[in-house]
Amino acid sequence: MTALAMPQLLALFLFIVGMLIVLIRRNTIVMLLGIELMLNAANLSIISFSNQMGMIDGQVQVFFVITIAAAESAVGLSILVNLYRNFGSVRTDRARTLQG
Amino acid sequence: MVDVNILVGVIAVFCAGLALLMLFAKEALTCALSLLGILLGTAALYGIMGEHFIATIQLVVYAGAIMVLFIFSIMLLNVRQTGDDIKLTSLRFALGALAGIALLGAGGWVLFDFVPTGSGPWGQDAVIAAGGNTRVLAHALFSRHYIAFEAVSLALIVALVGAVTLAKRKLN
Repeated sequence: MTALAMPQLLALFLFIVGMLIVLIRRNTIVMLLGIELMLNAANLSIISFSNQMGMIDGQVQVFFVITIAAAESAVGLSILVNLYRNFGSVRTDRARTLQG
Repeated sequence: MVDVNILVGVIAVFCAGLALLMLFAKEALTCALSLLGILLGTAALYGIMGEHFIATIQLVVYAGAIMVLFIFSIMLLNVRQTGDDIKLTSLRFALGALAGIALLGAGGWVLFDFVPTGSGPWGQDAVIAAGGNTRVLAHALFSRHYIAFEAVSLALIVALVGAVTLAKRKLN
């Protein structure tokens, strides 16, 4: 195990928990939070590798990821407001009009 | 002076615990505040690694703006109890946990004896000699990556207009 291992292991764990939140939970707000957690874990991984290898490009990449994450959460939350208006709930098992 | 490795370990345990709380908490607000704690812990890790600008961005944009947006929507939609959101005995939880443990094992196995090779030009000393992390990052951002920077600013405007249009639309 090197000094790199701790942030990488944390990033791996956070990514998996975020994935489980998206897979298991039914509340759409919490699912969006899980997506943010996964993005954050990927950021941590990129930053840690870039730091270890003495590169600056990883930080530029993370800068862009954070910007796009802000845009993504704004659009996602406005979609969620529409979902709530139409179905009266933010749970995914209520929004099943395609199921017939 | 605290050993840096111990500090990183404490922050990692803190973040991992909050992530588990996020997975199992019933209230959406608890999840949001746990994510806030994780973002603060990650910002601290960035600071420890010497990436000061990214740590600040993390605090201002992620822990500030995005989390305010989330907490505002939780308040707006008045999501109180999410009910029996997560059942420990359900099939989807079992399958998800199985996939998670498999991924954790695979990733840990890869990471266990991984040693990064190749050292780029921006080591700790080189960054300090060039005037600090923010200056180096700004130079990279506005010289080699400026087209991507402009494209991202365009994407932000499009997302802003899209979000306003979506949220204002009256559906019947």
